[in-house]
Amino acid sequence: MESRPLVVVGAGVSGTAAAVEAARAGVQVTLIDENPIPQAMAALNVPQFFGQRFNPVLHDRALMLERVGAANEALAEAEEAGVDVRLGTCVWGAFRNSETGRILDGPQLGLADNEQSWLMKYDRLIVAAGARDLGVAFTGWNLAGAMGANGAHALMHHYQALASRRMVVLGAGNLGLNTARMALDRGIQVAAVVDVSESARGDRALSTALQDDGVKLYTSHTVKEAVGSDGEIESVRLVKIDDNSEPVAGTEKEISADTVCLAIGLVPSVELLSLLGCDVGFEPELGGYVPVHDDCMRTSVRDVHVAGDAAGFHDGMVLDTEIARNQGRLAGVAAAESLGAIDTAEATARRSDLQAVAIDSNPNDACANWTRWLRALRNAGGSDVPVCPCEEVTREDLIGLRPPRFLKWESERRDGRSLGTLAPDAPVNPDQVKRLTRAGMGHCQGRLCREQVALLLAEASGSDIADMPLMSYRPPVRPLPLRVLWSHEESDQVRREWAKWFSPTSPVLE
Amino acid sequence: MPVDSADVVVIGAGVSGLSSAYFLARAGRDVVVVDKGIVGGEASGRNGGMVSERVDEPLLIPMAVEATEMWATLDEELGHPTEFVQEGRLQVAVTEKDMGDLLAEREVAMRHGIDVALVEPPEIRDMIPGITVRTLGGLFFPNGGHANTQLTVQAYAWALQDLGGRLYQDTTVTGLRIVDDRVTSVETTAGDFAADVVVGAAGPQTGLLAKLAGVHVPVAPARVEILATAPVEPRFPIALVGNGLYGHQAVRGNLIFGGGAHEWTDVNLTTSPGKPNTPLIRNIARRLAELLPGAADAPVIRSWAGVVEQAPDYRPIIDILDYPSNYVVVTASAHGFGISPATGKVVSELVLHGESSIDIRGLGLSRFADYGADWREKRGWNPAPLRY
Repeated sequence: MESRPLVVVGAGVSGTAAAVEAARAGVQVTLIDENPIPQAMAALNVPQFFGQRFNPVLHDRALMLERVGAANEALAEAEEAGVDVRLGTCVWGAFRNSETGRILDGPQLGLADNEQSWLMKYDRLIVAAGARDLGVAFTGWNLAGAMGANGAHALMHHYQALASRRMVVLGAGNLGLNTARMALDRGIQVAAVVDVSESARGDRALSTALQDDGVKLYTSHTVKEAVGSDGEIESVRLVKIDDNSEPVAGTEKEISADTVCLAIGLVPSVELLSLLGCDVGFEPELGGYVPVHDDCMRTSVRDVHVAGDAAGFHDGMVLDTEIARNQGRLAGVAAAESLGAIDTAEATARRSDLQAVAIDSNPNDACANWTRWLRALRNAGGSDVPVCPCEEVTREDLIGLRPPRFLKWESERRDGRSLGTLAPDAPVNPDQVKRLTRAGMGHCQGRLCREQVALLLAEASGSDIADMPLMSYRPPVRPLPLRVLWSHEESDQVRREWAKWFSPTSPVLE
Repeated sequence: MPVDSADVVVIGAGVSGLSSAYFLARAGRDVVVVDKGIVGGEASGRNGGMVSERVDEPLLIPMAVEATEMWATLDEELGHPTEFVQEGRLQVAVTEKDMGDLLAEREVAMRHGIDVALVEPPEIRDMIPGITVRTLGGLFFPNGGHANTQLTVQAYAWALQDLGGRLYQDTTVTGLRIVDDRVTSVETTAGDFAADVVVGAAGPQTGLLAKLAGVHVPVAPARVEILATAPVEPRFPIALVGNGLYGHQAVRGNLIFGGGAHEWTDVNLTTSPGKPNTPLIRNIARRLAELLPGAADAPVIRSWAGVVEQAPDYRPIIDILDYPSNYVVVTASAHGFGISPATGKVVSELVLHGESSIDIRGLGLSRFADYGADWREKRGWNPAPLRY
């Protein structure tokens, strides 16, 4: 099995900065990034909400590798510093020994490209896996053309493959405004930027410039529905909302668009950190569950560091990439120090050059914004809207704890059951609700619905979203075909001694 | 003052405990179930969902046969869906040794009057679309099937509550109060529960729980793994065993298959054991793609692990003890899900009548009278040392 002193997951701003910093300190660094991703994965809305709005050029892996490389100028710097850069490689699993799993001979990652999977041991790990799009449901969001800001960003910036002509952006924070700016600059029409707030929440200059370019800003508005035919969005119906987030009668307007881009929030990608047992805590201003870390970006697990959006995302970070870059460099210094490549004095000196990470510079409660959107969308769209598009679970199915519709189960006794009858038995647990309703069990692995499921459950049970436990993550955290996950290097011993079920000779996997 | 009292207090809201509680409540008994976590949070809600007549384990056949009959009407009985599908179970051979094992199982089945048929490879390919052409033959049990484990545990729990039974989750047992030779109350983090009869159905914690009553029940916890794909077409409703795996295709279309090495582990009475997956899922994926090459492109979307318990002879222990005389031990050695309706019937009969109408000979605790505290070490069933 391949073994590396330091592996950095994610070649975004923070990951690349971490890799360069550690490499310059003399560490052998491997920098892994999953882009370009296979088209089949993009079609499952993994890792971002791509909404089927990619053009077929995504198929051309050689061209995509070229574009992904070219879009990230810092990669050249990393390669110059001696970093072993591996693009087109996803990290689908992270494994380390624990009380109830002791068979590994060291911490390791599960990696895969288009063709096969393999394992890689590490001495130190920096997770700079970024953030993913927050999904919030409205009627029609399961049509092609509903997508997320990070999905749009990847398709515009990395792949030059966004198949969009006219876009409506939801969210007038920096995330939404920046998405609108990028789209305009690439010749995509932006019909509207919509927000439930009374005014644009993002940067004033950015917002003014967009309006100067003819982008209409709809504040105190929400989406009633997206309308389309043949599975494609053709227009969006907006409605004005009042102070109670209720739709105002007679204010509906229909806007023609083939794309609705959700730019309401980003959620730190903590899958790998969660698999490794790093402590996470709920931070409403940083996008939900984030890893607990110190000023040097060390997590609660000794050999694991974190940086960038994965450590916590706020809207201010969209326009100020220095925050992520600094975090990356701090993580790189800490990893180099713990590997003994530099001594504590030098690490301290390097750290003092880096500005303090301005994590509290943004007092906005991201979750309060999500909640506002959720309420407005529900008030305008009703409860017969699929929260989990993969498994077609609606808001009312979720709160009513309805068994999956394909079972066609009808009984009076069942009808007496809902979240309201489950909640008194024990604190509401999203994993339990998932197992009963299938919300979050689909092929996107819960990416599109977990936050709104938690919000809806919190609201329906009268509790705080912060009290909802993190829905569990399980490997593989990327949907991998059996033929890719397949262990091609399986040893003869494992093969020979494979146990169908318990038997006196069941071997432990070596 | 106890926080609640009941004719029967069941410890453990897994499938064996909940089924026992349900059948006791149906027989008119006032029942309370306590659990340190949530309904079916451990192995009962995390297994492969297989239902069979257990021809591989002859002592279990009477219970398993009764269970397959009860499963056929269980949804109506409970009033909540279990997603049970009874379209049969197919065991296929991919090696000569497999084929020999199948022929031996066929003999056992025929001796016990269980419906079984040998099937040839062409027939197997008709039954399971996409299966490998390399099978040598198969054994088909028409009464076998599969169910959704998580819906099933909740169905038992809700059916119990519908009959007036009470469920206390997040309630950890801290002690068993014994007066003379009887357990009079179950002490928990939520207070005491007074009981006439106590049923210990604590899965991997069965041994630790019994120890609170001064009884030695030898069971060893072990972690096992399983994976699920996204829904795939075409569908097959038959439960499938072969190439070192067991599993089925869920009604939704997901392939759910497990197998491979287990790992001996330890648990405690107060916390839920960690259930990590390991790179073993790659080996399971390989075996599944070998078995079903037609599904090789199916994306694996999750995996999970569960901690089950094993008695030294891999069989359940179901017994009403001599001491404490009102304590029932129910532990299924990882056979609990499929036989669960029969388990409930047996336990309710043991509590009500002191004996069961179903033959449970060979499942008593006394068979382990000679097992000392060091039995796991002697068997090599202790956990590996924690490295690094």
